[in-house]
Amino acid sequence: MAYLTQPDFVRYVCSCGQLKPITNLYFCRHCLKIRCGFCICHEVDSHYCANCLENMPSSEARLKKNRCSSCFDCPSCFHTLSTRATFAQTRQDPAAGDAKVENKQAKKMYYLSCFNCRWTSRDVGIPDQPVASGGWPERPNPFSARINQLLDYYKAIAQQEKQEKLDRERKKFAIRGKYITLTDKTGLTGAMARNIAGLPSSESSSSAIANFVPSVASAEVEELPEDYHLREINLKQVTTMAQRLASPEWQPASVARLHPVARPLSVKRSQRCRACDHNLTKPEYNPGSIKFKIELLAFYHMPEVKIISHESVKPGQQSALLLKVSNPTSHEMALRLLPPDHQAETETDETTETHEKNEPKSIEKSLEKSLNLEKDTTWSKVIERKPQMPALSQICIPEVTLTLAQRDDAAEYDDDPQHDTSDIILWRKSNKLALRLKVSTDPSAEVGQPAQVALSLQYSYRNTVPPSAQSAQHRDHTLTTTVLLDLGTVCE
Amino acid sequence: MAQNIKILPGATVCEDCTLEGDITIGGGTVVHPRVTIIAEGGPIIIAEYCIIEEYSTIIHKKSDKQENPPKPLFIGAHNVFEVGCKLESPFGHIGESNVFECKSYVGVDVKIGSGCVIGAACQLTVPQSLPDNTVIWGSEHHNREALEKQPSQLLQLDFLSKVMPNYHRLRKPNLHKRQPSRPSQEGAKV
Repeated sequence: MAYLTQPDFVRYVCSCGQLKPITNLYFCRHCLKIRCGFCICHEVDSHYCANCLENMPSSEARLKKNRCSSCFDCPSCFHTLSTRATFAQTRQDPAAGDAKVENKQAKKMYYLSCFNCRWTSRDVGIPDQPVASGGWPERPNPFSARINQLLDYYKAIAQQEKQEKLDRERKKFAIRGKYITLTDKTGLTGAMARNIAGLPSSESSSSAIANFVPSVASAEVEELPEDYHLREINLKQVTTMAQRLASPEWQPASVARLHPVARPLSVKRSQRCRACDHNLTKPEYNPGSIKFKIELLAFYHMPEVKIISHESVKPGQQSALLLKVSNPTSHEMALRLLPPDHQAETETDETTETHEKNEPKSIEKSLEKSLNLEKDTTWSKVIERKPQMPALSQICIPEVTLTLAQRDDAAEYDDDPQHDTSDIILWRKSNKLALRLKVSTDPSAEVGQPAQVALSLQYSYRNTVPPSAQSAQHRDHTLTTTVLLDLGTVCE
Repeated sequence: MAQNIKILPGATVCEDCTLEGDITIGGGTVVHPRVTIIAEGGPIIIAEYCIIEEYSTIIHKKSDKQENPPKPLFIGAHNVFEVGCKLESPFGHIGESNVFECKSYVGVDVKIGSGCVIGAACQLTVPQSLPDNTVIWGSEHHNREALEKQPSQLLQLDFLSKVMPNYHRLRKPNLHKRQPSRPSQEGAKV
């Protein structure tokens, strides 16, 4: 049961061991595994402003510090500011008299206003603008010189380190000449020779590094004014922490110094399976569109389990549990219920196998392109974890294979439930199936503890990926997945 | 309860609203349908050019320490009561150019100055007095002080008083007094 605001009652076990609701999971059709946001690769596709929906290439976004140039956020409540128009009488110079009659015409002037907290750009004395967008005065950063200096310095260091690495690699593979050079013979290194000759050393050749002055901490601070602790403060004039941190360059302490904050850009991101490098999601390029070009959500590929209702779980007793299972695919699905340990065993076998398979591959790859970032398979070991499986409550697993019909949108109009009910099938309706199961709880379960129960589903899955030329993939697979059901707390 | 409802000429008051007690509605004010105004604790006087939107409730609550004769609840000019707001103030005075946003609640013993904004769904229940130009917003009831009063809604008022008679039955003005003077507010053409 996946809701937006309610707790997740049904969670699936991802291939990396995380527990997530089905709406947060992806299904890689190539590895036939569940993936989640934790174990996939996130890539930035494009930058855009969520307010004006303007697309921005990443180089331009970096130049503009990932902020939109035409949209602003309220410095007071961080809501988007809107532009409001007023008709302002252009002020006439008393000396000019009636010389300029056209000037009397009302002129449209614009100011920024927040509809949430009613902050306006007039509150802090920003003059109204004659154009609707852009042209707002930018406040210069008081530390821009220092920041640029630091940026240059770190860029130079990065450059230098890169160069050193290249040199080292070259040295490693450099074929020693036939002849012994003078420096080798005398034990004089190049740096020493340069030092003796009074030449600047090659390492600190960059002027950015040479001219860099590290900042020095000083113990002397400006004294606080005498009345600092005595003065009555008006909290309405003091900015909050969040307001100060929204503009880190100025960190205004007084409300009168708040300045519109340029709106941070959002990104469109595509997600990629780390094991096979296939895309799991890929959004459309247009920022106004919320559709996906590729959308391999678990929601479309795996049987979805929902809790209809359950009796309260009591220690040492059996309680009824009604589940609804639905098949979102367009193929018939055979379903078996298994105890959760079954799944865990098979999975560990599989993972060790794949690790063995993967290793020679990665060595090959690293030989092929040693300088490129080869695929690192160690990540899976790092992030993999075993989920804690509840042991106190168990589902009594019926030994039956159930079939789930394919999804049929037209079936919704035919509201005639099929009556092949049995002792475990409560009802059946197109691609949905309601099951009546029993949960038995250990007598040692403590009252008040969360009652959880795990269940494995073995289901048949037909792969719809067109088979590639080299590998003759078989289309039908039997997959297993484990779900964790939250049944409230153990009652008395 | 004695029904004594005085509607000044120029006011637009829809018939489909609950008005109880001694209520005076000033000229230029627009009262939408389904509004509830109950003057059980004393008279309610609403000044000119207010907008009282649908489902808003203004109650002059009865209290134990009532003065005799009861003090009227005076609501100044240019106040806007947005949809579903509730005002239960027997305090006697509400300034002008305030905005009570949707679903806001102002309880008893809250004194409101002028140019204040009570944000959407904000609840003021503790006895307090809001100085002029206070803006309260958000679920955490942030507040700040605005520099100037909220711009008045005269364009909206003009439109409403023109359109409302086409679609609703109105209560007739029953008090003939001198024409209320046109307001001389700045930024009237906003």
